[in-house]
Amino acid sequence: MIRAIALKEFRQYWRDGRFVTVFGIVVALGLAATLAGWSAVSAMERERAAAVATDREIWDNQGLKNPHSAAHFSRYAFQPTFNLAVFDPGLTDYVGNAIWLEAHYRDPAALRPIEDAVEIQRIAQLNPAWVIQVFGPLLIFVLLYGAVAGERESGTLRQLLAAGVRPVSLLLGKAVSAFSLTGLLVFGVLLGSAFLMSADGIERLPDTGLRTVGLIALYLVYLAIFVFVALGVSSLSARSRTALAALVGIWIVATILGPRIGPDVAGALAPAPPAHEFAARLQQESSDPFWGSSEEAVERRQAVMDDVLDAYGVETIEELPINYDGHLLQESEEFANDVFDALYDELWGSYERQRAVARAFALLSPTIAVQHVSMALAGTDIHAYRHFADEAEGFRREFVLLLNQEMIDHGGADGYAYVSGNDFWRQNPDFAYTAPGIGDAIRGVRGDVLILLLWLAAAVALAAAGARRGFLAEVAA
Amino acid sequence: MTVRAIRKHERRALVHDRVQVILLGLFTLVCLLASVRGAQYRGALDAAATSFEAENREQDAAWRERVVAVESGSVAREDDVFAGLAMDVARPAVAAPGPLADFSRGVTDVHPFLSRVALWRSVDRLFGNYQFQSPNEIRAGKVDLAFAVLFLMPLLMIALTFGALSRDRDSGRLGLLLSHPISVRAVVRSKLFVRLGAVFVILVASLLAGLFLGAGGVPDGERLGRFGFWFLAASGYFAFWAGALYWFISLNRKSETTALMMVGFWVLNSLVGPAVLAAAAQLIYPAPSQLAFLSTAREVSNEAYRSRADVMQGMLLDHPELTVQNYTIPEYIRVYYLVNETVDRAVEPVLEEFEAVQSRRQSLLSRVQYVAPAALAMRSLNEISGTDLARQVRFEGEVRAYKRAIARHVEANVLSGEPLTLAEVDAVPTYAFRESGLGAIGRNVLFPVGYLFGLGLLAAARARRNLARLQTRFREA
Repeated sequence: MIRAIALKEFRQYWRDGRFVTVFGIVVALGLAATLAGWSAVSAMERERAAAVATDREIWDNQGLKNPHSAAHFSRYAFQPTFNLAVFDPGLTDYVGNAIWLEAHYRDPAALRPIEDAVEIQRIAQLNPAWVIQVFGPLLIFVLLYGAVAGERESGTLRQLLAAGVRPVSLLLGKAVSAFSLTGLLVFGVLLGSAFLMSADGIERLPDTGLRTVGLIALYLVYLAIFVFVALGVSSLSARSRTALAALVGIWIVATILGPRIGPDVAGALAPAPPAHEFAARLQQESSDPFWGSSEEAVERRQAVMDDVLDAYGVETIEELPINYDGHLLQESEEFANDVFDALYDELWGSYERQRAVARAFALLSPTIAVQHVSMALAGTDIHAYRHFADEAEGFRREFVLLLNQEMIDHGGADGYAYVSGNDFWRQNPDFAYTAPGIGDAIRGVRGDVLILLLWLAAAVALAAAGARRGFLAEVAA
Repeated sequence: MTVRAIRKHERRALVHDRVQVILLGLFTLVCLLASVRGAQYRGALDAAATSFEAENREQDAAWRERVVAVESGSVAREDDVFAGLAMDVARPAVAAPGPLADFSRGVTDVHPFLSRVALWRSVDRLFGNYQFQSPNEIRAGKVDLAFAVLFLMPLLMIALTFGALSRDRDSGRLGLLLSHPISVRAVVRSKLFVRLGAVFVILVASLLAGLFLGAGGVPDGERLGRFGFWFLAASGYFAFWAGALYWFISLNRKSETTALMMVGFWVLNSLVGPAVLAAAAQLIYPAPSQLAFLSTAREVSNEAYRSRADVMQGMLLDHPELTVQNYTIPEYIRVYYLVNETVDRAVEPVLEEFEAVQSRRQSLLSRVQYVAPAALAMRSLNEISGTDLARQVRFEGEVRAYKRAIARHVEANVLSGEPLTLAEVDAVPTYAFRESGLGAIGRNVLFPVGYLFGLGLLAAARARRNLARLQTRFREA
């Protein structure tokens, strides 16, 4: 019976020009978005590969230079844009592509693509995930708003029930038809993305297969939520136009209002430190207490000197077997690193609190939860960015230590006059980045997954309540 | 039954219809939230700009005091050899928030608006580290009055009007109404007048609230003038939607078909249109690679550093009068200046190319924006608010030019090692960002806004014709 009802629905969709048109537009958008995503990711990866090679070449051939001067010039960590960003670019355009690994300072990632974008891109950015998140539910609502209310209006619902069709079968038949069509959209877009993601030159995210399965499951759950919501609302509505009005209202709140208002309110309730102020604090708190002229800074430098003289059992700097300037520079790095850790913890913490507040809004809008999980699976969320930034910072510290150590060990009494050459630069390592696996990626979105499952349960309950009340009322009438 | 009676009935129905009251209430709340958040946002920008300028004034005053002390003889030159060091000249360049940045935040949340212009920084680093804004917040976009006008207002207008004709027709009330000496056109117009009038009243009240909240009191003339344009543009968008909805209603379809057409039009105009236009503009005029730009700057910087002796020699051959006078100033300062100057010259063409691409994109969008009125309205609202991309590009270009002006002023002193005199310090150029005048804004936005009104009127004229035909059909029936 379910199959028969589903087939009848398919035929009806096919005959109804409105559905075919809407479906065609959404599929075309999905395809265009996939191609646009692939083109953007390919270009970013090509540019990154070229930049990595140039960075190495410049480093290797910088000639005679003091190692600490080289640490100021330093190198860059370039963030890879992984294959799944074709499907869901997430924060890719909003975080920078490159982190300068200079001495004395922990830089933010610079060169954010959004800074080069035209302003109307802020209204909407065409990408496959966005097409499914926004248009998938709309398509479902267009397909299902009259699923029960329409049958009731035309009088066919009573006939169906009188003919012995079970309400559950009727609902499931309609659910299967709408779900299959929109599910096709998800599979189509993801398969298209997967095909393009495997193109040469695009770096593969660890566990890509598992992540893709996760994305398919995620979006099927997402669409299922809206299928059951649509069936519930349609069952409970006396007229199809009432059902449509209610469903469009739900769509607006879920996909347009919620994802905008949630993060905005989160920004108000858990504000991130103002950018200019934060940059100034990073500079001042990491430098002034060590290099400044305050009593505290003078004492700190004195303590460094006393400690090193004690350690080597000598009286004066000149007697030290090491380059003291290099040692002092490294000590300042160690001091600054603690400050960077504390300040960046504050920064990441504020982002995390914002996500938590936004997550609460997912109780009103499942789209928010889906966005969080989708970005996590695609490796384009704030955790992925933080992972990269932390790895880059770890490398910066080791790299600056390597350069300072060169000065400490071989600079002797030359101080800042000591120089190294290309032979040394060419031995220095590259920053190699490995993204975290799926386990690490989804650790931060377990709450969102739970909320989605709650939504699914609530939607099923709504559909069941609709079936009970709506169909009973029909029988009673 | 008269038009007056219909309007009276509509007003009563509007007040007693719970769904409509809730929708109007929600819109009012979101508008209020937008006004409050806008005022907070503008306040934060103002505070950052004010504190930045205060810090800079303090630093510059302290620096000037050292020059005064040496010139007055209270401090011996040999006790402060760096007093008046030309290379240390630095001045603030600030683009204060646009006059209506609280109404429409535009691109202000991702671009820098403060710079301490210093010769120690090459032009690619003039804005320091400002990329600390929360990526989640930037991605989601802001809830401001522009969002309320561009996205929510049309949706509310749809929700209130989609059944304006069809409900009365389906319920048989229309026939009853037309038995009185009144036309279908008058009936529909009366309903729209009341329902859309309610939306317009809320819009006006919200804009006025935003005007005073954002100003923190009585707005100044500049703000009032901009507000006049903003109000005109918002009214134009309202008129466009009112005309479009009038036309959809005049097609006399089923309620749900009318609603679907209206929502579909909203999706095309507000989401798909801007997304496709943005993607097309960026595809046709791709921005130069940011990573390639970075590599160029580093290559040039490294090369200039490596061949610093040649660079210095070249400079002295061109300017023999600048032979070093003051040997107490370390050599590296001159070298740094020349290296930065070389980098500035090398990257300037690339930066100009970035500007040229943005200009070409803006020019393209200015022509094609008419196919997506939401994009057109957004660009107009941003321009009136002083938060548009063109303003930002102008600011960044002016800051680079300002650095060149400072460099010209002090170059001879930097290269010869001569400190600046007090008169020279006081003659260092200052920077003031100038907002576009109201006349220029008027010239840029009046045609697009007029186009919105024109579209609305055209749609309304078509609707009148459709309803006249409908009237004839009713009479014949």
